[in-house]
Amino acid sequence: MKKISALITGLLLLLCISASPSLASDEEVTICVDTEFPPWTWVEKGEVKGFDWELWQYIAKDNGFTIKPSFVPWPQSLIAVEKGQADVQAGGVSFTCDRAKKLSFSKPYWRHSFFALVRSDSDLNGVTALSHGAKVGSLMGTSLMWLEANLKAKGVDVSIHSYDSTDLGMKDLDNGRIDTMFVDGPTAKSYIEKGRNVKAVGQGYGYDFTAFSVQKGDPKQLLPKIENSIAKAYKSGKWAELVEKYLPGSPIVSVPMDVDYNEICGK
Amino acid sequence: MEIVHTLIGELPQFGKGVLVAVELLIGIMSLGMVLGLIFATAEVFGSWPVRLIVGCIRKLLWAVPQLVLLSIVFYLPFNLSPMVAAICALGLCSAAFQSQIFRGAILSIQSGQLEAAKAMGLGKFKTIIYIVIPQMVRFSIGSWTNELASELKDTSLAYVVGVMEIMRQGKSIISYTFGNSLVVYFFIACIYFCMTRMGTSIFYRIEDKLWVPGFKKRKD
Repeated sequence: MKKISALITGLLLLLCISASPSLASDEEVTICVDTEFPPWTWVEKGEVKGFDWELWQYIAKDNGFTIKPSFVPWPQSLIAVEKGQADVQAGGVSFTCDRAKKLSFSKPYWRHSFFALVRSDSDLNGVTALSHGAKVGSLMGTSLMWLEANLKAKGVDVSIHSYDSTDLGMKDLDNGRIDTMFVDGPTAKSYIEKGRNVKAVGQGYGYDFTAFSVQKGDPKQLLPKIENSIAKAYKSGKWAELVEKYLPGSPIVSVPMDVDYNEICGK
Repeated sequence: MEIVHTLIGELPQFGKGVLVAVELLIGIMSLGMVLGLIFATAEVFGSWPVRLIVGCIRKLLWAVPQLVLLSIVFYLPFNLSPMVAAICALGLCSAAFQSQIFRGAILSIQSGQLEAAKAMGLGKFKTIIYIVIPQMVRFSIGSWTNELASELKDTSLAYVVGVMEIMRQGKSIISYTFGNSLVVYFFIACIYFCMTRMGTSIFYRIEDKLWVPGFKKRKD
């Protein structure tokens, strides 16, 4: 009996130790990173890597922050930042007018267009890949929204399949369950470079602005600091170095981009 | 075979993932055990309002899918960390199942023993502590081990709220190698197989140790 009660007490104690939340300090900035979204952010051998993470290391050094990654899954990270449980959402976040209702966005630092990928042996072209009854797959997010708004809503003959992760869609493309995979430029380029039996038949269908998002109204006043540091990174050459490392071949334009979100959303 | 090298390089992370899974499992099973024992004793020995309330809670927890309960707990306005949310949600689900294991074990104790305990002057509480629980533990270990194996596999659900366990490590590798899904998931399956085998064999050994001559045995 004693042994059993000791065992139960021990287990409960272990539970308490494992469950105690870690304490956060004031100058710490918690950044939600997507663990599965290269080249922006991913986790390799236990370390966060990627364009956004390295950029944030620069921003942190510039402002004297310490940064801490949070691995809350992508859909929940929007809510975590909205509620203030985390400070910043990073990892190739696309600006949308709907998201801007709940979060505040920094000025964009990247603009990428969508690509239409087909199997290497496919004879579809940039037009037929997205019309004539084509089965088009897309990651749930801005690329899917583009397909819905610009093809489906305008009566183009396509059937749209949405996926939780890019690899699921790529698998279906490989198996022939879909004809086209509609993805953002950096992801498309990575799959082509890795030789995954796909080719791009079209690009530039629509574009996304990539930016960092923070809690609505920016209560911690992070956005001006982020934008200043990005401007510094551009001037110092750090920006070019990052682009060359993670998005090779991409044009280097002045950042942060001077974009008026209100104009985009028609307010 | 680039992916094999990647997997070897990621072994320490999978090791951490295993520890996280074990931590989750200990949390889930202990919470489930404590609540399960309370539910079971209340349902067997409690007065009718207690039986009704506990029965309703148990049936509710039993009917809700773990993934749904996990999301509900995670989005409660308490700012729970992913680990705590996962332990609470999966632990509550497990409590419903464990309570049935314990309830069955309690009911399989012959009623004559309870009458004998009463005749010897033991109160209800003492009867539960000295007569019911020691026998119930022995009766329930087999089915409890089954629940342990089932919960071990369910720890993989915790990845949806952001716990960096084995499944999440695997998905991360698939993303940065742009493919290799089959190899990575197969590797994860092997890890779970080894863990389940090890876990269950430990508890089968405990079952043998606690065996009292005259009682039925698993291998019989």
